[in-house]
Amino acid sequence: MADDPQRNFRSSYYEKVGFRGVEEKKSLEILLKDNPLDLEKLSTFSQRFPLPSMYRMHVWKVLLGMLPPHSDSHTMVGGYRKEQYHDILEALEVMRYVNSSTPCTHVYLRMFQLESQVLPRCSEISAPDEENEDFLSISRAMEEIIDDPIDCYWLIKCFVNQFHTKFGDSIPHLPKSLEHYLSQEEPRLLKHLKNTGALAQLPYSLWFRRCFAGCLPESSLQRVWDKVISGSCKILVFVALEILLSYKIMLLGITRPEGVVRFLCNIPQENTDAIVTKAIELWHKYCGTPMHAV
Amino acid sequence: MAREQPNVGDLLPLLETSDLQQLDEIRGLINEQLSTERGSMLLNALVDYFLETNSAQAMHILSSVREPHDKHLLDKLNECMTRQACRLPTLTLLGHVIRKQPSWIHKIARYPLLLSLLKCLKTDTDVVVLITGVLVLITLLPMIPQAGKQHLWVYFDIFGRLASWNFKNPGHVSEVYLIHLHASVYSLFHRLYGMYPCNFVSYLRSHYSMKENMETFEEVVKPMLEHVRIHPELVTGTKDHELDPARWKKYEIHDIVIECAKVSLDPKEASCEEGYANMPANFYPQVHLRPQDCTSSPYTDLHSSFGSSSSTPFSTPRQPLPPPLSLPPFSGTQSSPRSPQTSRWQNSSGELNSSCGGKDPLWSPSSLCGMATPPSSRGMSPNSELSHSASHLPGRFQCTSGGKGTPASSTPATSSPPPTLSDDFPIISLPANTVQSSPPRKDRRHGESGKPALVRQEPVKDTEKSAEVATNREAEAAENVSMTLTELSVFMKKQELELQLRTEKEREEAAITEELLNITEEKQELSGLRDFDSPFYLTTETLTGCQAQDKTFSDIQPGGPASDTQHVVSTPDKGETTASTSGGSERGGGGAGGSERGGGGAGDSRSSALGLEQSCSFQSGFTPIDHHLHRSPSAPDEDLAKFGMFSPSPCDKASVPYESFFDRALPRAASLFVGQKTTEAVHKAALERMLQREEGLEDGEEEGVATASPLEVLDRLVQQGSDTHDKVLKRLPLPSKSADWTHFGGSAPLDELHTLRSQLLLLHNQLLYERYKREQHAVRNRRLLRRIINATALEEQNNAMKDQLNLQSVDIVSLRESLQVEQQRYRQLWDDRETVVTRLHTQIRQLQQGRDDYYTKNQELQSKLQECQKRIDELEAELQRANNKVCHTGHLLNQMTIKLSNSESTQQQMSFLNKQLLLLGEAHKLSMQELPHAGADNTKEAQMLKLSYGKEVETLRQSLLVQGQKMEAAQQRVCELETHHSKKEHLIAEQKKFLEDVKCQAKAELQDSDSRYQAQRRITQLLQTELLQLYSRVETEAPAGTATSSPPGGGADPHASADSSVTIPDRQRHTNEEVGSRPPRGSPRGHSSTLSPRQPKASNSSRTTAYCGSQDQAPTLLVEPSPSCPYANLLAPLPPSDAPLTVGSYPSAKSFLGMRARELFRNKSESQCDEEEQQSSSRLAGLAHSLKTELCVEPPCPGYVAPVGLAHSAAPAPAPALATPLTVPTKEPPSQPKQRASSQESPRRKAGSGGGRGQVGSGRPRQQQLKIMDYNETHHEHS
Repeated sequence: MADDPQRNFRSSYYEKVGFRGVEEKKSLEILLKDNPLDLEKLSTFSQRFPLPSMYRMHVWKVLLGMLPPHSDSHTMVGGYRKEQYHDILEALEVMRYVNSSTPCTHVYLRMFQLESQVLPRCSEISAPDEENEDFLSISRAMEEIIDDPIDCYWLIKCFVNQFHTKFGDSIPHLPKSLEHYLSQEEPRLLKHLKNTGALAQLPYSLWFRRCFAGCLPESSLQRVWDKVISGSCKILVFVALEILLSYKIMLLGITRPEGVVRFLCNIPQENTDAIVTKAIELWHKYCGTPMHAV
Repeated sequence: MAREQPNVGDLLPLLETSDLQQLDEIRGLINEQLSTERGSMLLNALVDYFLETNSAQAMHILSSVREPHDKHLLDKLNECMTRQACRLPTLTLLGHVIRKQPSWIHKIARYPLLLSLLKCLKTDTDVVVLITGVLVLITLLPMIPQAGKQHLWVYFDIFGRLASWNFKNPGHVSEVYLIHLHASVYSLFHRLYGMYPCNFVSYLRSHYSMKENMETFEEVVKPMLEHVRIHPELVTGTKDHELDPARWKKYEIHDIVIECAKVSLDPKEASCEEGYANMPANFYPQVHLRPQDCTSSPYTDLHSSFGSSSSTPFSTPRQPLPPPLSLPPFSGTQSSPRSPQTSRWQNSSGELNSSCGGKDPLWSPSSLCGMATPPSSRGMSPNSELSHSASHLPGRFQCTSGGKGTPASSTPATSSPPPTLSDDFPIISLPANTVQSSPPRKDRRHGESGKPALVRQEPVKDTEKSAEVATNREAEAAENVSMTLTELSVFMKKQELELQLRTEKEREEAAITEELLNITEEKQELSGLRDFDSPFYLTTETLTGCQAQDKTFSDIQPGGPASDTQHVVSTPDKGETTASTSGGSERGGGGAGGSERGGGGAGDSRSSALGLEQSCSFQSGFTPIDHHLHRSPSAPDEDLAKFGMFSPSPCDKASVPYESFFDRALPRAASLFVGQKTTEAVHKAALERMLQREEGLEDGEEEGVATASPLEVLDRLVQQGSDTHDKVLKRLPLPSKSADWTHFGGSAPLDELHTLRSQLLLLHNQLLYERYKREQHAVRNRRLLRRIINATALEEQNNAMKDQLNLQSVDIVSLRESLQVEQQRYRQLWDDRETVVTRLHTQIRQLQQGRDDYYTKNQELQSKLQECQKRIDELEAELQRANNKVCHTGHLLNQMTIKLSNSESTQQQMSFLNKQLLLLGEAHKLSMQELPHAGADNTKEAQMLKLSYGKEVETLRQSLLVQGQKMEAAQQRVCELETHHSKKEHLIAEQKKFLEDVKCQAKAELQDSDSRYQAQRRITQLLQTELLQLYSRVETEAPAGTATSSPPGGGADPHASADSSVTIPDRQRHTNEEVGSRPPRGSPRGHSSTLSPRQPKASNSSRTTAYCGSQDQAPTLLVEPSPSCPYANLLAPLPPSDAPLTVGSYPSAKSFLGMRARELFRNKSESQCDEEEQQSSSRLAGLAHSLKTELCVEPPCPGYVAPVGLAHSAAPAPAPALATPLTVPTKEPPSQPKQRASSQESPRRKAGSGGGRGQVGSGRPRQQQLKIMDYNETHHEHS
């Protein structure tokens, strides 16, 4: 990094002093200037540094495959995406799955279902199941982050798809690793949870399937998702861990598992940024700074 | 004509008619006749008539005869001249004609008349005729000056004859005639001398050089010569030049007359023009000469009498001068004839009056009246004549005579003036006059009386008085003024009358003079008229002249009195015939007279003074003191008197009448002139008085002898004649007068009468001549006046010019000043300019110097530059030479190096050869050593072999060399090719990279489009399901009863009737899935790019099958899994299927691109496929698990995506299961197809991926076949 001539020589000192992300923006811009975008570098960067909000969407789009790495074909692909979205939406409207009063998240859900060929018949539409709920919560969070419905839909779809394809396997193992890290960080809490029997009932689906959508506020959530999108699901563990650690006193005070679940599902929104920061630090601490090659 | 002629001739007597109208008619008739007729008849008749009757009218007509008749007239006259009897009237007529100056008068020289005239003059003995003829000749001479050439000597002869006649008196004519003749000759002398001086003098010289003529010369000619100055022509001219006609051409008649007058010194005769007559000079000689003259010539008396005869009373004031001058000779030489003279004079005066009356009437009616008088007067006594003239003659005549008389009769005036004045004016004025004037007079007289001159003066008055009244003189001498008054009682009334008339006359004159100013012609006529009017007019004329004369004399009072004395002496002699005042005792008498009256001194002197004063006063101001008194009665006269008084020169006399004109015409010039003259006059008068006084004393005696001019003598004669006439008239009764005449004349009364008559005629002639002269003068004066006017005008102009000149000079001065100022300014500017110029010049010089310096420096530098350039050129040349040398040497060096290398190589070769030689030498030695051992044959063989070996070795070496070189070349070539190769490889790598890039891009895009396609497919699938559902609903609803055929799909169909709504969709969904799985199946089969057309076809077929019945479809579906199974294991057989494509062109397809492709699609295809395979198995296995809890979990759901499928199947499955328990049995069959479907699903996916790969593969091989053959190779090599 220091060898990179384009980078400011002071950047290392910034980090030492505590200013983070001063030079990230510039380096990100340099990265984004490459014509075939280097996805690995982008993802590495995203894992190591917090993304500037102005480039966040673009980076996400690229990393999630919504836009190809070649910037030349961005417009064309964007056109495709748009057409596809409209086609689907039109079809849904024609088939009366959705109408103008249908909330966006549900529209997104139907569209996703259609694309996934799991759309039930109109007559058979029922209340969304857990998987649909996950999607809906994610889409709700995403909708908060992005204004454009097309981009929003596509990002949701890509995020969900990528999440499932990438981390579908590792998600079930996450509670275990959480337990492991918790034992390292705060064995007392673990013991307490184990004792109270709340450990098994912890809101894992909220944490790991919905990626904290609906749990953390969007500003904090973005930073978590940065890491997720860039290819790390471990961060979810550390966020959860940090949540537990942050509110261990409260949790220690709660003996009933339902109370624990309830509390964890509705954690106060104040300290989320700090929690996320700490979580990232913890993640860095345990998993190390991801180098170039992942 | 002939008839008329006598008629006209008859008319002639009628000319004498008294009827004026008739006279006019007749005269007009005659004139008309003369103008129309050319013949000489009438003229001759006229001449005859005139000669007979001496008619004035006829004379008038004749004298104004016109051109064509001149010849006749002159011929007639000539004819008449031949007759002795009518010679005199002829001459008279001729004289009239000539004096008329007709235009043809110059012709007279050509006519015989002149000759006859001359002849007459030469031969005739009648004095009267002679005198008349001479006067005519004198008049004629200036008119025909050029004619004198041939007649000159005749003139001279005439002169000589008449002069000698005068002296010798051959015909013993009376003295009176002689006087007349003398005067005529005197005039002729002047004329001849003036006109032809040289000839005349030469004549005189020649004629009087003769002894017999000497006496005549002494007596007659010499005194005449004394009266002329030397003629300028005598100095400058010659005899011939005088006679040159050209000389006379420039002269007019009056010019000639004046020319003649100029040379005269006689004041009577002379002209005062152009400085000839400077008075004092002129005067003195006269004064001095006169005594002699007078003594010598008795005619002076006559002459003087002529002047005074016309104005008897008036002559008295004139007397003071003439008498003294004339008397002495008169008395001296002619004491005896005195009485007859006077008587004669009396007669003559009477005659004169009558003659004048007879001759004058030509012009005026008064003269007509006078015409009658002469005959009557002839017979009458002078007294009666006078009385007649006083009483009888009508106004004008009387008045003129009276007018003249009063002033003229100053002698009576001595006594009479007081009464006359008192009559005319208040008495107070007279006494005042007398008193006022007298005292100074008296004083002066008193002062003067002390002197002899003054004493003598008194008698003058006496003589004056005696001239008027003879008795008066004694009374005057003895008694006082009263005496005179009483004595002249007879005259008183007459004089009163006269005075009255005179004043009138004077007024008239004043008016006339005024008129004269304007009209000179009129004046001339008037004067002429007056001339003819009356003899008194003439007297007025002469009076004026005489007055002037008197004034001159009065101015010269000393002289006057001096002469007076003589006169006084003489007059008493004359008047009283007293013995005491006889001839020689004049001076003594003068002295005695003075002493005589010394007793009666005071009274006498007073009276005389008074008389003098009065006379003076009446004479128009004798002295300035009296002068103002005179003004009132006679203003015009006074004016004249004033001028006359102050003009001392005779010339003034002539100019007197004109000076008044000056005064008015040229006021300024005249006043100036007058002022000048007066001052001059005053001075002169003063001087002369002094001189005269002295002279009077000294020359007292001599003055008596002083000569008088003939004219003066004549004057005096006339005057004396009148005096005596008066005296005689007084004394004698009328009848005795004739006796007196006889007594005086001493001849018979008849003779006496004749003499008197002729004398009268002569006087008339003389008068006419004088009048003519005067006219000439008038003409001239007019011209002179014109000249003066012009001169004054020019003077004015001059003055104006002078003023202008002054103004201009002032201008010039101012301009000069300004010029000076300008010049100064200019000079200043010039100086400034000069300084500036000099400064600039210096600057220019400096600059020029600087420039020159620069030039020189520049030149130096240029020369230096040239030198440097030369040097540079030289150096360059040297450099070139050196370069040449260097090049040459380099070339040489190269050559040398080549040579050196050659030599080195040769050296190496040499060393090599040396080595060889050495080796050979050694070998030779060895061989030589061996030679003895071996045989001779061996040696030869060996040698030969050696040689051959050597050669072989050589050749081998050569070949080795060649090989080595080839090797090197090959190596080099190899290197080159390697580098080329590497370059190409690099290029290929780049291209590969680019290709990769493009491929990635395309792949990404393809992926996107694929996803689109997928989405579309999902949509269509969904739509299809919807469609199917709708169809099934329609079918189930429409043929509800006959649904037996509809459920062929399987055993489940019969159940559909129970719950078709549930089952049909279910089934349909399965079929749909089946149908949807088809196209993928077909697409790999075709391995072509026509994927989309297949799909509809597939859908169509599926639809049709679905439509017709799913029974057929089901088996196919069921059957198909077997062929689709191999699809499921697509990965394994894929390479073989691809093999034909990849074999030739893609030997190491798996090596690079394949790897990449796998990497790229690992997640999606391989891993998925692997997973799916695993999943499918695991799902089939796990299906049991999920079905444990939820029976209704649909099997296809897990077939979808494993993780989702788990959750998914968990949720929807229970609902239908719960809702339709009847369908449970049907679940089994669908589960199978679902399994199949799921199994199909993976192959489809694989097919999709495979299709994608196939696509890529199909695109790739082409590309590779086209260009990437080497690339793969190189890549392979590199890797």
